[in-house]
Amino acid sequence: MADGKRVLVIDDEGPIRRVIEMKFKNRGYQVMTATNGEEGLGLIREHRPDVVITDIMMPKLDGKSLCEQTEGLKEERSFLTIVITCRISPEERSWTGRMRDTVLMEKPFSPSRLLERVEQYFGGDAC
Amino acid sequence: MKSRRIYLALLAFFFFGIAVFGGVLTTQEKKRQQEKLVNEGNYLASLISLHPIADFTGEKGNYILRTIREYIAPGGLAYCIIHGRSGEVLASFGGRDLVSGIPGEVRTRSLYTPGLTTQAFSVGDTGLRIQEFSKPIYENGQRSGTVRLGFNLPAPSLLSPERVELLGIVAFFIFTISLVIYYTVTLALRRLNHLSLSMRTSLLESDPVKMPSGKGARIDYVIRDFEQSLRLLKERISEIETSNMELETRAGVTAFYENQITNILDSMKLGIIILDSQDNIMNINVYMLALINGKREDMLDRPIGEVLGHEDVLAFLARCEGEGKAVGGGSVETTFPDVVPGHIFQVSSSALKDGDGSVIGRMLLVDDITNEKLAERAQQEFVAHVTHELYTPLTTIKSYNEMLMAGEVRDDETQKEFFNTIMDETDRLQRLIENLLNISKIEMGGLTLNRDLVRSDWLVNDCLAAVETAARKKRITIEKALPDNYPSLYGDKDLLKVAIINLLGNAVKYTPEAGKVSFGLSDDGDAAVFEVADTGYGIREEDLPHIFDKFYRSEDPRVKEQTGSGLGLGITSEIIHLHGGEIGVRSEPGRGAHFSVRIPKEDYQIG
Repeated sequence: MADGKRVLVIDDEGPIRRVIEMKFKNRGYQVMTATNGEEGLGLIREHRPDVVITDIMMPKLDGKSLCEQTEGLKEERSFLTIVITCRISPEERSWTGRMRDTVLMEKPFSPSRLLERVEQYFGGDAC
Repeated sequence: MKSRRIYLALLAFFFFGIAVFGGVLTTQEKKRQQEKLVNEGNYLASLISLHPIADFTGEKGNYILRTIREYIAPGGLAYCIIHGRSGEVLASFGGRDLVSGIPGEVRTRSLYTPGLTTQAFSVGDTGLRIQEFSKPIYENGQRSGTVRLGFNLPAPSLLSPERVELLGIVAFFIFTISLVIYYTVTLALRRLNHLSLSMRTSLLESDPVKMPSGKGARIDYVIRDFEQSLRLLKERISEIETSNMELETRAGVTAFYENQITNILDSMKLGIIILDSQDNIMNINVYMLALINGKREDMLDRPIGEVLGHEDVLAFLARCEGEGKAVGGGSVETTFPDVVPGHIFQVSSSALKDGDGSVIGRMLLVDDITNEKLAERAQQEFVAHVTHELYTPLTTIKSYNEMLMAGEVRDDETQKEFFNTIMDETDRLQRLIENLLNISKIEMGGLTLNRDLVRSDWLVNDCLAAVETAARKKRITIEKALPDNYPSLYGDKDLLKVAIINLLGNAVKYTPEAGKVSFGLSDDGDAAVFEVADTGYGIREEDLPHIFDKFYRSEDPRVKEQTGSGLGLGITSEIIHLHGGEIGVRSEPGRGAHFSVRIPKEDYQIG
């Protein structure tokens, strides 16, 4: 199981938060949710999750800005950030390369594939 | 050949000079000899005639004559004869040898000396020429005899030593003068030749066709060339004067065209700088001058690098030069924040060529592309929003379906929730696709109405049903104000539904949770009036004129945090106008927005 690793899901779309939350809870993760970047950033600072799954286009604070603001936090203790975007552009790929432990995932994503990607990060220990 | 003629002419001049001078000398010498002879003859004849006639008889007469003979140069006196009263010869010497040749009587010729007469004659075949002087002898007032003296005239000699000596001196002077004349003339000729050559060179440079032949430093050639050159010079001056007039005319025309070009450049709504091949500014229009706060007189004929303090433009120019592409050298975007803050300009360069295609400069164009950039950004944002709006429900549908199929949703309630969500998201996707199709048709000019009788009660119910779920999720109350008698409409039910749902959807979207949305339909006689009001934060004043523009999305952060494609109101407006209706909006900040739609109605009414 996931040994209670904490996953933060940030998306302004309720159904998407819901399905990711369910998928990860079913696998034993602790799941927190936020409806926009600003709220998400607050939760990251407060709870230091192991995984952050965030949409890129969100109200108040978009996914990219969120990642850039959490780079400093990762120096202390890194965590995986999965940024969900519609179409991966070369600029986005290049940007991701500069971010610590950050990967892109295209919509429409599969919850199973998302889980696999997280578990790969934990080297299979999470399963 | 001709130089020899010159020398011959000089030689002829030399001998002619000597001959004339010799002739003059001979005449003078003859005159001088004659005078001397007359003086001697007069003197001697007078001296002898002073003696009484008796002195010439006997030995005394011979003595006197001998003395005279000794006194006179031996070759000078040829004879002396003393005649008595009756002409008899009393005494004589030398006369006997010449007697046959001496005239018997003296045919005298007066010499102005009293009594003195003279005559000249040749003596027979001896070749001697004699000048005779004769004077009467008077005693006691009576003529007692006559004295006759014959002087040998010297034979005429051209080459006497004195004459040769004199002629030599004269020849030397003439020769010297000839030399001086020759060298003076030669020197003058050289100068003339030099002048002629200069003229020829000038003429050659200006008109090689009419070049004089130029055969050397000979005076005739030089003079001929000189004359020809002068003639050509006159022609040339005439041609130049004509050309000058033409040039002045052309200069006037050119100045006129330059002014016209400047006027045209100044009328352009973009910045233009014209550079020569050395990047000096040849022209700059007022638009550009305004952008850089410059004056034309400070810029013209000066290198652009010195007078244009705009780093982006200069860097662009340097890049074009570095890449060797004055033509189509790409472009660069820049700003002039001091003059027009917020505007974006595109700087491009194109080559200026002359008739044979050689590059003679380049033209810089500075174009305000702010609107294009805004449109481009709006387009990019539109695409990004639409993409997001399409993929989001798709993601939900796909992931929910995956969860259901994987059996990860076990309890019935959750399964039902998942199916409902899939249904809602499918509807959402469908509406978006319909909106996209509609906007596409509007863009293509192909949105047409399938008009039919529309029951407005059904239309209202369908629209309310479409937003019911979203409203319920946000706990929003929809207050309805509907008529007892629904007006009938003649229009496209599906499109009218899209229009009204867009208004209602926006009202729900922008109303906070647990807020209120009002929806009303009324009949004002001519038209059915739909009204939709929300209790959101309203529409900013600067957005109001644009909210019905296609693709327009407000910069208001409260709007931007909501998902949306920016299509809804544009499509709604288009549909209403296609129905001959009107759409209006009023809004106060913090008090929501109120949309009203008037659609002309049909007479038919549903009970």
